[in-house]
Amino acid sequence: MRGALYNGVEGIIGECGGGLSCATCHCYVDAAWTARVGGPSSPAERELLDGAAAEVRPESRLSCQIAMTAHLDGLVVRLPEKQYD
Amino acid sequence: MAIDAANPVPPNFTRCAGADQIPPHVPPELVRSVGLTTGAEFLAAPHAYKAGLHHTQPPIFYDVSPHGNAWQLLRHDDALFALRHPEIFTNEGATPFPRDPDDYFYFIPIEIDPPHHRKYRNIVDPLFSPHGVMKLEAQIRERAKGLLDDFAGDGACEFTTAYGRPLPVCVFLDIMGLPQDMRDTFVEWAVDLLHAPDRETMARAMASITAYLKSAIAEKTAHPDEGVVSRIAHAAPDGVPLSEKEIFGFVCFLFIAGLDTVFATMNNIWLWLAQNPARVEEIIARPGDINAIVEELLRAWSVTFSGRMLAQDYTMRGVEMKAGDRITCVLPACNFDPEAFPNPTAIDFDRPRKTILAFTVGAHSCMGAHLARLEIKVGLEEWLKRIPRFAVRPGAHIEYRPGGVVGPEFVPLMW
Ligand code: HEM
Ligand code: FES
Repeated sequence: MRGALYNGVEGIIGECGGGLSCATCHCYVDAAWTARVGGPSSPAERELLDGAAAEVRPESRLSCQIAMTAHLDGLVVRLPEKQYD
Repeated sequence: MAIDAANPVPPNFTRCAGADQIPPHVPPELVRSVGLTTGAEFLAAPHAYKAGLHHTQPPIFYDVSPHGNAWQLLRHDDALFALRHPEIFTNEGATPFPRDPDDYFYFIPIEIDPPHHRKYRNIVDPLFSPHGVMKLEAQIRERAKGLLDDFAGDGACEFTTAYGRPLPVCVFLDIMGLPQDMRDTFVEWAVDLLHAPDRETMARAMASITAYLKSAIAEKTAHPDEGVVSRIAHAAPDGVPLSEKEIFGFVCFLFIAGLDTVFATMNNIWLWLAQNPARVEEIIARPGDINAIVEELLRAWSVTFSGRMLAQDYTMRGVEMKAGDRITCVLPACNFDPEAFPNPTAIDFDRPRKTILAFTVGAHSCMGAHLARLEIKVGLEEWLKRIPRFAVRPGAHIEYRPGGVVGPEFVPLMW
């Protein structure tokens, strides 16, 4: 998420900077990766995801809560059509 | 038109203030003069008053005041929309804080609209990120313990001077790379700048702060270190070093944004804790839920506002606003919007996580939010270890001063 924010990647906003409070960093994890990435990392992430602007799917995550490690090198995520109204 | 931050000029926007300066497009039935941060009801119990606005006022109304007229947005969803559409609601010229017109500078990043805004945030965001501030946690804990050592054995203290102000200042000095011996001076300047009863004291505080920050910037320019002041002084986004005015406007704004807000938040929270011993016990019994607890306390005890100016005509909820009009997102009221937070005045640590507006939203979301959350969390944990039961000193009169950062002036406690 921070990589996207600092480099102006469109489609991911992350306005709270990873504070688990804005839900503007919503992404869909590619089917090939969902097992490795896992679901929401906390009840708070799951609750906040409910407020995301675009459709929430089983593979939805708030990208600021995905800790990037070597294990996830090559990760593919897709971005929703909007992060807020 | 986008401003050039390296070559600041005082804005020439018109400012409407008072009943004789209501633009003709404002419908008379939406005009109020409620004394949002100055009236008697506000001063008696500011947060209860803000919560009550949802019942006493329309969701958007035009407030008239000698300090400036502006549309007031009370609803959570309206504020989210306004704050996330900077092309309609701009920050240029929206910060009323006075400056010397002959030596003008912009407050950075708050007065800069996207896309230029990101260039400034990128300089320091990594230091203020959740990961960046985590490195400070042990140090914040030491600072909190050091302060508590001084008075925990006394059985009483005046909270704001013993803990609510010095703790945030210690942390601020550490992250900025400034010496701890400036602690009491910084407290004094910050209080005088935003709360002095007279303009001369405020101006004198601003002059002292300016002189000190300029010398600190010069010193860090010559001797770089890991602190925020040095980082800003040496920044060169896209290979272009920041100008002197940009560096000063950035460092100076951190002083304005990062001290009084935290003081007020802590002072509000500790006052409530002192009045609600059963809730203190609940907090002590739920150490694993501290993050949710802090978030809920921040929702209920928000202290400040987001001001914007319309860059174009816009109609919201049927209310016609025109370019040049000002708006205020009344964040402490938005956080009590019953549609967003059912039973809003109940402080409930089990609320589902939702966007709160204490730190605003949109591009200008508070840069210090992660640091502030951590300060409050650590400040609370260390306090409760030493002083688990405390109350407001009997007979103490709790007083609020008018102004844009809402918190009690003094909180006399005993245990
Ligand atoms: C509990 C404490 C705090 C509260 C309630 C708070 C609140 C806010 C709010 C509401 C805004 C948005 C203002 C607007 O929309 O016009 C803001 C912006 C900002 N805050 Fe904080 N703040 C706090 C602590 C801090 C700290 C500790 C720092 C830094 C050391 C800081 C630095 C900033 C900066 C730089 C901005 C401007 C961000 C931008 O324009 O991109 N704040 N804060
Ligand atoms: S960046 Fe705000 S929730 Fe992820």
